[in-house]
Amino acid sequence: MVSDLVLLPQFLTNGLVIGSGYVLVAVGLTLIFGILHIVNFAHGEFYMLGGFAAVLGSQLLGLPALPTLLVVAVVMAAFGLVVERVVFRPLGGKDPTNAIIASFGLSVLLQNLMLKTVGAEPMAVKSGFAPGAIQIGNVFITAERIAIVAAMAVIVAALLLVLRYTWTGRALRSLSENPTVALISGVNVRRVSLITFVIGSVLAGLSGALMSTVFMVQPNSGALIVMKAFIIVVVAGMGSIEGAIIVGLALGLIESLVAGYMGNELRDIVGFLIVILVLAVRPQGLFGLKTERS
Amino acid sequence: MLECTNVDAGYGKVMILHDLNLTVRQGQLSAILGSNGSGKSTALKTLAGLVTPVKGQITLDGKRIDGLPANAMTEHGMCLVPQGKEVLAGMSVEENILIGAFHRRKDKSGIAEDLDRVYSQFPRLKVRRKAAAGVLSGGERQMLSLGRALMSRPKLLLLDEPSAALAPKVVGEISDILRGLRETGLTMLLVEQNVSMAVELAEEIHILREGRIAHSRLNGPDFDTSDLKAYYLGSGA
Ligand SMILES: Nc1ncnc2c1ncn2[C@@H]1O[C@H](COP(=O)(O)OP(=O)(O)OP(=O)(O)O)[C@@H](O)[C@H]1O
Ligand SMILES: [Mg+2]
Repeated sequence: MVSDLVLLPQFLTNGLVIGSGYVLVAVGLTLIFGILHIVNFAHGEFYMLGGFAAVLGSQLLGLPALPTLLVVAVVMAAFGLVVERVVFRPLGGKDPTNAIIASFGLSVLLQNLMLKTVGAEPMAVKSGFAPGAIQIGNVFITAERIAIVAAMAVIVAALLLVLRYTWTGRALRSLSENPTVALISGVNVRRVSLITFVIGSVLAGLSGALMSTVFMVQPNSGALIVMKAFIIVVVAGMGSIEGAIIVGLALGLIESLVAGYMGNELRDIVGFLIVILVLAVRPQGLFGLKTERS
Repeated sequence: MLECTNVDAGYGKVMILHDLNLTVRQGQLSAILGSNGSGKSTALKTLAGLVTPVKGQITLDGKRIDGLPANAMTEHGMCLVPQGKEVLAGMSVEENILIGAFHRRKDKSGIAEDLDRVYSQFPRLKVRRKAAAGVLSGGERQMLSLGRALMSRPKLLLLDEPSAALAPKVVGEISDILRGLRETGLTMLLVEQNVSMAVELAEEIHILREGRIAHSRLNGPDFDTSDLKAYYLGSGA
């Protein structure tokens, strides 16, 4: 038992790294849901594309880590812009089922497009960080993984600041709170929807890029993470950003502990159990408010 | 100032307003009275761009505004205070007020000035400025909704039953505020079920029945409310 506890900090550290990746995907997913009311099943493929954009930046262009992330952000912003305009905007105001089906279609399309163009062979990304693990107390961690957590923290903090203190952020939140009030106050729904979708795409892409140093990049690498992101968003409460941050980190930690102490094969099951449990007790999610309308 | 000519509007295939004609003159406070379901809110929503008319035209200061999206209306100087005291429940009182100034967000000093003015008009809001709007009382929410609209610096304010479901004392406060706004020369179109409030404030009264203006008359010292009910209910001429 003592030796088990010695591993605890290591498990928690690993969980924090994975959780960081989850947070970025889940926050984008919940933003897009809260504001555009789109359940985006293609969000995992946005993550996957971010990984390939990182391959482009680091391997093909030979860029260091930060400029690579910048390339990823630009590519994903452009991608999100086109997808919102071409796929989702024309479906706005119609039956939401249409958007769900479209996002499914987009997911299949993107996977196959990548299969056809780059193939199924997994790719690795070299970040340029020193390869060896650093020891801090009982914990071994690479500089690369410290950078993942740090990057997540910076990105999430920046997002929260924008949401809190800028007019764009206020417009975003007002639209997710009460579209009528937002509209009559002069908030341009189309513009805000586009901005939201772009932010969500960039966040997913950045997550894919950061995690590409932990997991291999391949056309189906978004399939599992999108499930995790949905678990997080539902457990947190659809639309809750702070909730997605907390639950995203928590899921990473819990999975890591379960894998470490109970067996790796349980890692991907525990989230589903949590979702069922939470929905039974609190259907609106842990941080979701029961919407009250006067 | 506002001219609404032969407007038909509704939801999907169901038409609620039929051949609606309405004029609001500059500096005037006009009221629309009518029973539940007569189409009062639909009329205001149509003016505000939340419902698109299928026929007729609406002009504001001579410019066509029908068909414009609702978010463009504040730029044209018109703002709606919707029925139901709607607020951004999860955002702070101050953020709720500020969002009203969205179309002129570059005007930092003007916004700071207006925020101070709203706070002096509604001292309760200043006290509660950090609170989430969702926890406010009904009266406070109505004040918030009004304060938010004033932040857009409207030329024309559309008010949908601002006195509904409020204690008499609060209704009195709202009346006082509207009277104060009328004195500043602000043009207002007030929808009410509270006949005495409307008669007290408005210079012209319209009765809406089944989506049509059934009766209009100017207010005056010898204004007689005894027959208004008849117009409401359809037995009047
Ligand atoms: N969003 C909507 N979709 C479909 N029908 C609607 C909608 N809103 C209102 N209606 C219908 O339009 C008619 C007029 O409603 P409206 O809200 O304009 O009445 P009102 O005069 O404001 O009533 P109240 O005094 O109760 O507020 C009603 O029959 C109502 O059922
Ligand atoms: Mg109404």
